[in-house]
Amino acid sequence: MRPLLRVRDLTVVFDTAEGQRKVVDGVSFAVGMGETLGILGESGSGKTISSSAVLGLIDDTPGVCGGEIVFTQGDHEISLLEGLDTCVTQRPDGLYVKDNRRWMQHVRRVMTPIWGCGMTAVFQNPRQCLDPLERIGAQVEESVGLAAPHLTAAERMQAALDWLQKVQMRDPLRVYRSYPHELSGGMCQRAMIAIALARHPALLIADEPTTGLDTTVRAEIVALFHSLIQESQASMIYISHDIREVLYLASRVIVMRSGRVLEEATSEDLLLGRGTRHPYTATLLHAADLPTGQVSETV
Amino acid sequence: MGGDHPSQECKAPSTPGSKKLRSLPLGLYLSGGIVALVFLLGLIAPLIPYDPAAAVDYQRQLAGPSWSHLLGCDGQGRDIALRIVKGTEAFFWPGILAMTIAVIGGAACGACAGYMRGWVGQAVRGLMQLLDTLPRLVFIVLLCTILDPGMYLIATTAGVLFIPTIAAICRRKVETLASEDYILAHIAHGFHPAWILGYHILWLQCRPLLIRQACTVFSYVLFVETALSYLGDYGVQEPWPSWGNMVAQTREGVGFWPWFVPAVMIVVSIAALLAFGNAIARREEAMR
Ligand SMILES: Nc1ncnc2c1ncn2[C@@H]1O[C@H](COP(=O)(O)OP(=O)(O)O)[C@@H](O)[C@H]1O
Ligand SMILES: [Mg+2]
Repeated sequence: MRPLLRVRDLTVVFDTAEGQRKVVDGVSFAVGMGETLGILGESGSGKTISSSAVLGLIDDTPGVCGGEIVFTQGDHEISLLEGLDTCVTQRPDGLYVKDNRRWMQHVRRVMTPIWGCGMTAVFQNPRQCLDPLERIGAQVEESVGLAAPHLTAAERMQAALDWLQKVQMRDPLRVYRSYPHELSGGMCQRAMIAIALARHPALLIADEPTTGLDTTVRAEIVALFHSLIQESQASMIYISHDIREVLYLASRVIVMRSGRVLEEATSEDLLLGRGTRHPYTATLLHAADLPTGQVSETV
Repeated sequence: MGGDHPSQECKAPSTPGSKKLRSLPLGLYLSGGIVALVFLLGLIAPLIPYDPAAAVDYQRQLAGPSWSHLLGCDGQGRDIALRIVKGTEAFFWPGILAMTIAVIGGAACGACAGYMRGWVGQAVRGLMQLLDTLPRLVFIVLLCTILDPGMYLIATTAGVLFIPTIAAICRRKVETLASEDYILAHIAHGFHPAWILGYHILWLQCRPLLIRQACTVFSYVLFVETALSYLGDYGVQEPWPSWGNMVAQTREGVGFWPWFVPAVMIVVSIAALLAFGNAIARREEAMR
C-alpha cells in the first residue's frame, strides 16, 4: 500500500519543572491510502502529543525536536519537518534549544495548504471545539464554503443540511439552528465530524472522539466513523484507549506507552492472538476479555 | 457495535437568551430610543435648509414654547427646536468618523498585538503604550491652540486617542482565546488565521465590547464639540448653531429656554449613549 503519511523517529520534548522531558520518544508509524490506523494506549502515553505533532499544532517549547514526517498530497511528498534541524540544537548536556518563533512560521507555511483538505482532526471535547457563539449550521457552512467556494448561499445551506443528515442528526434543521450549548456531547461530536469531513480530507485524525460520551452514544459515533470513512475512502488515524473501538475501526494498530511504540500488529492478528505479544498488549487484550490466549496456543 | 439509530441525545429545545429577552431592561429601550433620535436628527439635519441670518426675528425674542415654535425662541427670535436639529451637524458625522477610526483601528491593533509574536506585535504594543500616555482632552485642547483645526480633525484625533483603550480590550480577548480548543480546531480545519481573528474572535467575541466602546467614543466627541463651542474660541461659531454655543447663551443671562433645552440635550444624549452601550454589551454577554 502506498503510504499517505510516514512518521519516523518522532521526538517531542517539553520543558517541565524537573527539566526537559521526552514526551514522545522515537515514534514511527505509517498510514496507507484509505487505511485506518489505530493508536492504542493508556492516558498519558503520548497519543495526543504525537498526533498534534503530525498536525503541526504544538506550540509549547521546545516541542518537536526530531524525526521525519512525510505527507503525500496529490503526487507530491511533503516533508513536514524539513528544516527542523536548523531551528533545534542539542546542547552538550543534552538539553534542546529551539528557535520557536521561526519554527512556528515554518509550520504555518508548510501546513497551510495541508490543514483541512490534507489532514484534519476531530478532538476529544466536541463542545469546546465548536465556536460557542455561532450556530451549528453556520459552522458547517463555513467548512462547506471553504471546500467549495463557488456555492451560492442557498446551496451552501443545503450542503450543510446534507452533512448534518449524513452524520445522522435526527432533526438536521433544528440542529442547524442550534448553538453548541443546546446540543448534547454526542450531537456536538457529530457536528464536528461533519465539519471535518466537509473539507474532504485525505487523512482524518480522530483523537479519542468518544471519550466522555455515554456508552450507547459512543457505539453510534464509532459506527458513524466506520460508515463515513468507508464511504469517503479517506485514511484515518483513530486514537483511543479503548481496545474494542480500535480493533473495530482499524486494520492496523500501534500500541503506545510512555511515549514509545511498544508494538505494531494488524487487528486481525491481535483478535486471533497470532504472533507473539508484548506483555503490555497482552494485558490490554486480556482486560478487554478478548479470546486471545486460547487462539495463540492453537495457531 | 451499536446500531445506527440516533438515540435520545437531545436536550429540551430552547432559543438562546429567550429567558433574558423577556426581562429586557427598560433602560435599553429608553436609551436606545434617545440614541436613535439623536442619530435621526443627525441624519436629517443636512437636508433642512437653514439661513442663520434670515432666522433672526426680533418680534419673537425669547418667546416661550408654542405650537409654531415648539421649544420657544432665543434672544434673537430664532427657533430653538430648529437650532437643536441643525446643531447635531456639528458632532454627528465627526462622531461617526471618530467611532469608525477608534473601533477599526483599535480592533486591528489589538488583533496584531495579541496575535503577532514578532517585531510587528512588539511595535504595535509599543505604539499603543505611547498613545495611551497622552491625556485626551489636554491633547485636543493643545491641538486646538496650535492648529485651530476643524471638527473633523478633532474627531480624527479623538478616534486615534481611543485606539489604545479598544486595542487593549481586543488584545486581552485574543490572548485568552488563542489557547481555546475551538480556535485550535479551526486552525486544524484549515481556516485562515485572518478569518479566525476577524470573524470568530473580533466579530463574534468582541462585538458587544466594541459597541460599548463605539458609544463611548461618540459621546466623547459630542462632549468635546459642545465643550469647545461653549468656550467659544474654537468649535462652531455664532450665528451657526451648536448645542454648546447655544448653552453659552446662559452667559448673556437671557431667558430660560434658550440654554435649558440644549443643556438637557447634551446631558441626556451623553447619558443615553453610555447607557445604551452598556445595555447592549450586557445583553449580548448575558446571551452567551
Ligand atoms: N505542554 C506540556 N508540557 C509538559 N508536559 C506535557 C505537555 N502536554 C502534555 N504533556 C505530557 O505529555 C504526556 C503525554 O500526553 P498526551 O499525549 O496528551 O497523552 P494521551 O496519550 O493521553 O493523549 C503526558 O504525560 C503529559 O503530562
Ligand atoms: Mg489524549
